[in-house]
Amino acid sequence: MNGNHPVLQYFSPDLFCASIQATAKRDVLRELVAVASAAGGVRGPELLLEMLERRESLGSTGIGKGVAIPHGRSLAVIRMRVVFAIARKGLDFDAVDGKPVKLFFLIVAPPQDKKNEYLPLLGRIAELVQEKKARDRLLKVETYEQLQAVMEDVLGGE
Amino acid sequence: MENDALKDKLDALFRLQDLDIMIRELKDPPTKGTEEKMGFSVAHLEKLQLARTRLAERIPALDLRLYERISRHFTHAIVSVENRICLGCFMGLPTSAVSLRTEPGMVRLCENCGRILYWLDY
Ligand SMILES: [Zn+2]
Repeated sequence: MNGNHPVLQYFSPDLFCASIQATAKRDVLRELVAVASAAGGVRGPELLLEMLERRESLGSTGIGKGVAIPHGRSLAVIRMRVVFAIARKGLDFDAVDGKPVKLFFLIVAPPQDKKNEYLPLLGRIAELVQEKKARDRLLKVETYEQLQAVMEDVLGGE
Repeated sequence: MENDALKDKLDALFRLQDLDIMIRELKDPPTKGTEEKMGFSVAHLEKLQLARTRLAERIPALDLRLYERISRHFTHAIVSVENRICLGCFMGLPTSAVSLRTEPGMVRLCENCGRILYWLDY
């Protein structure tokens, strides 16, 4: 199912959430972890949630412009994964610009990262959401296939 | 019940290592400043340090010493085991070690590399 772009290997249909149910920050993290956990890349979801909450205490991963990228490494993660989720109405995530967040990318990785893929992936996602065109297109996504197509397009021929 | 106690013990060390990894990546070159450059807020490192101190205080001294000692030799003191393979050194674990994992209250170490083993099926 995955597309050709190397970044898409960390996405999958079961890591896609077209509409977040949660309305509060803590609940969103819990919901995103539940998606990752159900997809099978995680053991000890509570331990993973705790790590993500600690990361938020360092400073919100809501990087502004309606986007949040909660992330971190944990022994609770078996394989690097990206959960993509949309909060259609937007929600308060203590974002740096104070604006509600609609687009979420949860990026989780195991402690060992032999090929050193985690930080470059985090950087690439953080970079691509800076483009208004990319954000607007991602907000319109309703299916995993659409996400895949948009990501292929905005990531370009890297 | 004794296995629950071991799980609690390992989970506490697990949390400590997750926190140590986060703090290390924020402080150590070559990753220092990386998240900030990406646009993430890392304003409250002191909160992580405080959480680390509090968590360490709750871990029995012997376990903490073991973790700290192994951490001096390896980037990750705790590693998971998958299909009887230690994911620290990638050596297969003997069947005896696998069956010993249920020994009450004992934190198991990899016989090959000496790292603390975290079993998937606890
Ligand atoms: Zn080993």
